[in-house]
Amino acid sequence: MKLENAYRSVTVSRVIDAPADLLFECHAKPEHVMKWFGPVGWPITLCEMDFRVGGAWRMAMTGEDGVQNTPFGGIFLEIIPGRLISYDNAFEEPGAERMVMTFLFEPLPGGKTKLSVETTFPTASMWESHVGQGLVVGLGSALEQMEDLAIGMKGAA
Amino acid sequence: MNKVFSALADPTRRAILARLALGEQTVNDLVAPFGLTQPSISKHLKVLEGAGLVSRGRLAQTRPVRLNAAAMATAADWLADYKRFWEANFDRLDAYALELKKDRADEA
Repeated sequence: MKLENAYRSVTVSRVIDAPADLLFECHAKPEHVMKWFGPVGWPITLCEMDFRVGGAWRMAMTGEDGVQNTPFGGIFLEIIPGRLISYDNAFEEPGAERMVMTFLFEPLPGGKTKLSVETTFPTASMWESHVGQGLVVGLGSALEQMEDLAIGMKGAA
Repeated sequence: MNKVFSALADPTRRAILARLALGEQTVNDLVAPFGLTQPSISKHLKVLEGAGLVSRGRLAQTRPVRLNAAAMATAADWLADYKRFWEANFDRLDAYALELKKDRADEA
């Protein structure tokens, strides 16, 4: 990973009691992805994947009003079976910024896996979050440190 | 928001903010601990001010710098929301993978 990416990335990790191959499969097939991905109250109602490097993927969510949101998707950039999936991701809107998502599956003893998702945001960009909250993003920093700092400030106040 | 995050990208500026969290400081107060020149500190402060992260007194000659905690909190909140989104996804994946594992063990 290039250092410059580290300054605009957020990583979330989790140890899951399932083998890496199984978790990899949960990311590689639409019928699985639809079971776990997406914010609460916004089921995935469109999920297509041409699961190969250079292949496209596409998803959309539907809210309580029954109207399907603008689809989002991208291209698979890198696939290492059982270990890594990387794709880019943007809303299907003119001028939408693309972010890169990388999923790492690290096998641990006892059939467990450390799963990490790293999100790298485009520089100086705005991204209407597909969390469905219309959050605005333009990350350009070592975010974790910033968060620690903000928490420290709260404690000091 | 873009300005906030690019202002925070620099480790010196984050260190300045951490120092300001303890209370307001003048430029001179900041020169010594960072071992930087006054113009260099002023340049960093200008970026932080442009991002709305700090504000400076207009009246006093020393123009003390203070932290604008609200802007910091907005940035941190966004990040926390995004992390929560993925934590929630992983909660569901965890449960789903467990179910899948069981089904396959039963089939085998």
